[in-house]
Amino acid sequence: MGCAAVVKESGRSPKAAVSVARISGFVKKYRQNVAVRNLDLEIHAGEIYGLIGPDGAGKSSLIKAMAGVLSFDQGTVNLFGTNIDSEKSAEIVKPRIGFMPQGLGLNLYPNLSVEENINFFASLRLVPADELARRKQKLLSVTRLDRFKDRPMKNLSGGMKQKLGLVCTLIHEPELIILDEPTTGVDPVSRRDFWSILTDLLREQGITALISTAYMDEATRFHRMSLMFEGEVMAKGEPDDILNLVPGTVVSLHADPQARAVSRLKEQFLQVESLGSTLRVFVENKLPNAAVQAVVAALDGIGIKDIQPAAPELEDVFVALLHQRHLTDDAPDCPQDSLSGPAALQPVTLKPESLNPDALESDIAIKAEALTKNFGDFCAVDKISFCVRQGEIFGLLGANGAGKTTAIKILNGILTPTSGYGQVAGVDMRCAGKDIKNRIGYMSQLFSLYQDLTVVENIRLYSGIYGLSRRETRERIAWVIHMAGLSGYEKKLAGRLPMGVGQRLALGCALVHRPRILFLDEPTSGVDPVGRRRFWDILFKLSREDGVTIMLTTHYMSESEHCDRLALMYAGRIVADASPLEMKEALKNDAGHLLSVLTGQPLVALKQLEKSGFDGVALFSKRIHLLSKDPGAAEKTIRSVLGRGRIDVVDIAERPLSMEDVFVYRVLELEKGEKGLEA
Amino acid sequence: MNHSIPSVDHRVSVWCRKLYVLTIKEFLQLFRDIILMVFIVYAFTLDIYLAGSGVSLQLNQASTVVIDNDHSAASRELIHRFRPPYFHLDKEIASGRKGIAQLDKGDEMMVLDIPPRFQEKLLNGEQTTVQMQVDTTNTVLGLLATSYGENIVGRFGLEAGLSRAGLSSDVLNTAPNIVDAHRIWFNPNQQDSWFMSVTEMLTIISLFAILLPAAAMAREKEKGTVEQLLVSPLTPFQIMFPKVLAMTLVILAGTAVSLFGVLELIFHVPVQGSLALFFAVTTLYIFTSAGIGLFIATIARNLAQVGMLTILVFAPMIFLSGAWTPPEAMPVWMRFLMGLSPLHYFTDACLGILLKGAGMSIIWDSVAGIMVVGGAAFCLGLWRFTRQFD
Repeated sequence: MGCAAVVKESGRSPKAAVSVARISGFVKKYRQNVAVRNLDLEIHAGEIYGLIGPDGAGKSSLIKAMAGVLSFDQGTVNLFGTNIDSEKSAEIVKPRIGFMPQGLGLNLYPNLSVEENINFFASLRLVPADELARRKQKLLSVTRLDRFKDRPMKNLSGGMKQKLGLVCTLIHEPELIILDEPTTGVDPVSRRDFWSILTDLLREQGITALISTAYMDEATRFHRMSLMFEGEVMAKGEPDDILNLVPGTVVSLHADPQARAVSRLKEQFLQVESLGSTLRVFVENKLPNAAVQAVVAALDGIGIKDIQPAAPELEDVFVALLHQRHLTDDAPDCPQDSLSGPAALQPVTLKPESLNPDALESDIAIKAEALTKNFGDFCAVDKISFCVRQGEIFGLLGANGAGKTTAIKILNGILTPTSGYGQVAGVDMRCAGKDIKNRIGYMSQLFSLYQDLTVVENIRLYSGIYGLSRRETRERIAWVIHMAGLSGYEKKLAGRLPMGVGQRLALGCALVHRPRILFLDEPTSGVDPVGRRRFWDILFKLSREDGVTIMLTTHYMSESEHCDRLALMYAGRIVADASPLEMKEALKNDAGHLLSVLTGQPLVALKQLEKSGFDGVALFSKRIHLLSKDPGAAEKTIRSVLGRGRIDVVDIAERPLSMEDVFVYRVLELEKGEKGLEA
Repeated sequence: MNHSIPSVDHRVSVWCRKLYVLTIKEFLQLFRDIILMVFIVYAFTLDIYLAGSGVSLQLNQASTVVIDNDHSAASRELIHRFRPPYFHLDKEIASGRKGIAQLDKGDEMMVLDIPPRFQEKLLNGEQTTVQMQVDTTNTVLGLLATSYGENIVGRFGLEAGLSRAGLSSDVLNTAPNIVDAHRIWFNPNQQDSWFMSVTEMLTIISLFAILLPAAAMAREKEKGTVEQLLVSPLTPFQIMFPKVLAMTLVILAGTAVSLFGVLELIFHVPVQGSLALFFAVTTLYIFTSAGIGLFIATIARNLAQVGMLTILVFAPMIFLSGAWTPPEAMPVWMRFLMGLSPLHYFTDACLGILLKGAGMSIIWDSVAGIMVVGGAAFCLGLWRFTRQFD
């Protein structure tokens, strides 16, 4: 390849950077809607450039225009020095780029085998037969797909589909690859695998990559990136630079009473979140000690435990940037009064914080015992058991296809289990009558709104379905509009609402009959961080103030920390079931602390640390993460190992474990155990 | 459950309220679906107009070419008996081969070949032959052209024979024979537009009776809202009934528009029977046919599949309706299948009411047929509905 650039170990100096893509003044409109507004972007040879933003930020529009499959309205897109302004010019650069569109395996052919898919893409790109054989063998072995060469693509798991997609994208050895949300919906284990394969291949062949993602926690994988929101770039640069845009400290603590602490903190700080029993506050412009003092001062008179400062994450910065630009919707905050309104049908029996582990049988709201569901030969849910106490927020966490949705559908009576037993509010859901249906609320994955009805018509419909009288209906419409911040949207069609607003309307519709138990299936997928946080505020109030039991599913690892208790689901089974904190503690005991090592030569250091026997070694941009039971000793070992290799260690720091770390570790452990059994 | 059992009155009012909001929802959704609305309006007006005014089963201006090898007074006389409105003399050509070529191309429908010495032989009392070659690709029209042609030639031959015997053709009227006294009932002028427009209206009613509830249900499945309904305190009947109710009202409105606005106003179809009976039978039919639509919706995963399955079910329903071929003309096994097509009973009943002025005493068996077949379809749809998600 002519201009293949090799990644410089010591970071890229601006002078040496060769530009692969240059975009300026890019505008894309869909009729009246502006998808991307005046965007500038430059990608250097050999780097992994990230586009991060929620759904609807304009990532896919930009990516498709760069791949030459979408026309745009203004600006220039220049790839390898060629202006992409016509089909013809796009054809000139197409041999030099590889493009993988959004969606699990959407560009592949389901009925062709792995090898046939690769051969097809190779023949499209006119790859000579001997070259193809060589590349195919190499790529298949790197991605560990060689064992599945003859398997039809439709029978691969989500992670494997994405790896195959990557192989097909790389088969003609492009200089630039463009991947649109390659990790969305992929389970964390496969996600980590995908990233490590990708970074290895890119590094080895000197390929430049543009990758979009909606996961904020993937930011550390990129060399440089643009943070996008509603068609505009909010910030761009290296991950650390973006984090430094809004300096500050995140303070986490336990407070009692929690609800009062939240409302006190909200008066002073813009970002206050409740993660289960933990409160998380972002204090802008303050160093750790000062930040802790500020929070303590704000909570004067409220009991505080375990107060700890930490560095902010990208999502905190993103939300802070949105606040700075006043891009958050200014609907009124949740009402302070009880969410169920004055005329609650059922008495509230739960006292907040009464989540003691030895709860009585009657306190159990949802119970599953060896619940199993087969679809033909496929076992979607495999003997899962758990129980949810009243007033608890319980999360099922897992990747697409892990069986979360099936589990929730069995419990609310849409599906009948193949075997096992599910109980909601003390009644078997298989023979649930109307009374029980009046006590549960459900919000399905697709937000379950009638897109061609207006906001008010939707609420009125659901009120009618639950048999509310005219007077009650009027009251509940007013309540939903207030609770969900929908004023001004009343006459709009539900299909035209922004994601976050639609989601709150769907929640309102699910709550219109004041249910005691609420099922939410992927309630926040595709919603921007601000919208997600608002949504969680409402859920938190419902749970703590009205004692509503909430069971939800999510594939956002970071979001799961909001739950009181979590069950990790993988391939239809529950891998772990505890509170997020307990899970992390358990992981600390089993696997150790998470250390983050910053060195001058991350790639060489990575190899050496892998060789010296550390667990969970992975590269995140310039930092290396690894697990160790004894951080003190590990630090010494790291310094001595790297010292021998003459690599300077810039920094070694302990990082808090994330839910993703827990998930990956538990799943790998399970797989190891099964392999042991088979052997 | 600690609250008291609600009174019957209360239960009924809650039931009605649920029905009301769900029916209103169906109307709102339908009226906001511009494409579907345009289709409905078109089908009940313009489509029926086109069917009534455009489609004809009569022989009309069949284009004919002539090969006249005789060029005599007799041959000219015969040729000019092939006249409009049935036949249209296009031109004269020289060779039979050219005539065949024109039949092949589909330019002409009939070739009339008159041999040399046609007049001479007639006058001499010798036998002579006239050849007609008819394109019967369209069997109905081909058959009509052949028989009309035979009639013309036969009559000409008879008259020629009589005049040779020195008798005038008036002899035919005085000769002893059987007088054919036929009476044409129900459609005295035998206007195709009456039959065609009524049949088309019944077809359109059937199409929407299946398609609209199926589409409404499939849309709920596609958007995931049906799950929301399933977890709410609604029985499957309560979920399905409002759709059927709303769609029935829409189709009845469409039927009224086409009956009064197109059939009566434009084609002057005389409505002989009771309008009330017609609408009652139509309502029953739409209701029960909706069951087929709901059944389709339980199999289909999205709107596109509903469209395809509707065609799959609907095409045989039309063939087996008896509107085009009476049951007696069908093979036995197909006659049995006709018994399964609710459209068959509906066509019988409605042609009876509208054109013949039949009352319940005559069409009761058709109404019973609609009830049995449609009711079975409805129950099947209801039964499948609860089982489709597993």
